[in-house]
Amino acid sequence: MASARCAIVGSGLAALATYTTLRHGGVAPEEIVVFGTHADPTSVWARRAASIRQQHMRSESDGHLAAAAFPGLAVREATRRISIRPLLQTVTNRYRPTVDAFLADAERLRSTSGWERSFVERRIARVRAVDGGFQLDGEGSFAHVLIATGHPGLARVPGAVHAYEPHEYAARVAIVGAGMAAATEWLNALAAGSEVVSIRRREPLRRPLNLPREYFSKRGLESFHRLAPPQRAVALHELSTPSYPPGAEWDEPIDRALREGRLRVVSRSSDDAQSTAWAEQVISATGFTAGFAADPLLADLVAEHALATHDRWIVLDSDSTVPDLTDDVRTLSLAGVAGQWAFPASDTIAGAKYAARAFLRRVCRTR
Amino acid sequence: MSYTLIGRIQSRLLSALPALLVALGIHRWWAIELVALMLAVGLALDVLVYHRALAYQPGWLALPLGLLELAIVYAAMRELTIAAPLRGALGLYALAWISAQVFAHAVLPRLRLEYAEAGGEPGRLGALTAVAVALTVVGGLGGAYAVRPPTVHLHGTVQGPLVIRHAETLVGGVVKGGIDIRADHVTLRKVTVVGGTYGVNVEHAQHVMLDRVRVLHFTLDAVRAVDAGVMVKDCSVTAPAGPLTTGVLISYSMGRPMSMVSGCTIVGVREGISTHSSMVDVMDNHVVGTSVRGISLSEMSMDRASGNVVESANGIGIVCMDHSMCEIEHNTVAGAKVDGNGDPSRHGVAIEAYFYAEATVAKNTVIASPGGVAAFDQSTIER
Repeated sequence: MASARCAIVGSGLAALATYTTLRHGGVAPEEIVVFGTHADPTSVWARRAASIRQQHMRSESDGHLAAAAFPGLAVREATRRISIRPLLQTVTNRYRPTVDAFLADAERLRSTSGWERSFVERRIARVRAVDGGFQLDGEGSFAHVLIATGHPGLARVPGAVHAYEPHEYAARVAIVGAGMAAATEWLNALAAGSEVVSIRRREPLRRPLNLPREYFSKRGLESFHRLAPPQRAVALHELSTPSYPPGAEWDEPIDRALREGRLRVVSRSSDDAQSTAWAEQVISATGFTAGFAADPLLADLVAEHALATHDRWIVLDSDSTVPDLTDDVRTLSLAGVAGQWAFPASDTIAGAKYAARAFLRRVCRTR
Repeated sequence: MSYTLIGRIQSRLLSALPALLVALGIHRWWAIELVALMLAVGLALDVLVYHRALAYQPGWLALPLGLLELAIVYAAMRELTIAAPLRGALGLYALAWISAQVFAHAVLPRLRLEYAEAGGEPGRLGALTAVAVALTVVGGLGGAYAVRPPTVHLHGTVQGPLVIRHAETLVGGVVKGGIDIRADHVTLRKVTVVGGTYGVNVEHAQHVMLDRVRVLHFTLDAVRAVDAGVMVKDCSVTAPAGPLTTGVLISYSMGRPMSMVSGCTIVGVREGISTHSSMVDVMDNHVVGTSVRGISLSEMSMDRASGNVVESANGIGIVCMDHSMCEIEHNTVAGAKVDGNGDPSRHGVAIEAYFYAEATVAKNTVIASPGGVAAFDQSTIER
């Protein structure tokens, strides 16, 4: 650890994406320390995916944690199965890797990247800027730090089981929310023979990815980055509208259940109490608590260093770095959901890689 | 991929690199001109159409866009009379298209991790390479322009025969007594040739282009090529001055680049188009009223006849003969006539394989030809 220049705070998917990117860029395992609570970077995410019985990823062929986009999961599957089908699916944007394939690929990367040589099981509570770097809980300093602590917690509805926690389905289920997890839960509960009430505040959008595709590239990001802080916050609020992908695999069972009366949709504001009273089980598919203030480490960092914030976001440069604490010799980056100010889809795999690649550029530049 | 405009342009220039290297490697001006044309068409579409219309471009769209660009490039190639052999041109285009896919989906994302999120911008090194590609293409075009053969415009009637011993382009006019071509990279364009034993005689030369050449009153062959690689395009052969004439004759040219005869109209000769020991693409010609054979692919040739119309041929419409291997497709043979000497191989046969020849025939139209499609004397026809 003494020779480490880089530290990653957090040990989830974004941390592994950052680690593989640094390794791809030639940074040795001895130069990197990963502080986290789980040696397996997929364990938290995998438990949530298993809870909602997720079979396929929402991401596409390049939704893996390796540094380079090629070869993607479709190419790997085509090679493994000796089939052209995954390649045809990916050029028509119909390829969705299975959760198992994604996890297997993540395990391959973890075991071959040197992750275990860099991992230290410790929850970091405080990040402090010092001359030329940062101290983490008094340890260090590290010249370059990327914080990837993930979502601060589940957004719960009182009396409800959260979708991302293990659960079964009662005969009458109310599902709160309208995003990808909620849609998955509608199908799960219907498949289990339940009657379902969908309680939603907003109507979901139908789009393949979490955000419109242009927000994943410079073409859309340039105009986003030009927005003044108030407009950028408005844009982020608008982009947070719940959504799930289009397609018959969603529409057919939902339409059939609606016709048969096994699925009803109610507005959260009007029929909320009546619906939850009817239900034997309420499932909260409302995602995560939002904002830096809900994350003790980020809240402390903001308070200690008087960082610029706007609404619930820490203000970042377009490369996901904290401008007040980043200069020619040191870097503080935020990855995952905390990086939305720089990349609206920061809580996706693409978002994790966006921050990771920018982090690598700075690490390599200041070697 | 959501390309930025710069990303589109730089990616296109970079992915043209393999086609450009091949073009430089084979030392053919048409190849460099074609790469330049492909880039010009592509870049124009990038700036004027794609960038505005395609905020996001899914992978499958590369196929229809590739076909659209192919159609535009082909039309422009014809309009600019770039003397490219069709197969070579298609091969180069296919290489450029496949390179573009491989570069966009594999090479560039590996060379620059941020390639996709940067909107297809390949970074500083990629941008420099793209500029180098552009400069090479422009330099190549400049070089091609600087060393292009001189163009000679003929006015009125010139008494021949003319003998051409250096690369040049001859345009217009009427030449009496025939033209002999003995040099590579000679182009005749819109020249009328009257008389001569041979209208145009090409010997020991290649990359010779006869574009919209008219030949009449010749006594043996309108166009004769021996040990030569020629492209005969949109020619007109009429009014022969003897009974033993051939419209276009290409012989003993197996060691030369493939020849092509396309879009010609040939009337009233003994044989319309005839090949011997050569590789020739005979396509989209109109051959009328021949006294012996309409199109003859013979003597160990490896030829393809497609899209031709052969009318009122005496004896045989199209024949593959004497150990030749032929593909005969999409032709129309109408009114092949029985020549009356009792030989079944000349009994108004529309398409024929003769004397150890192998012909593959498909999708031809045969009208009022009593001999139909037939094989004789140890030959085979595969349908």
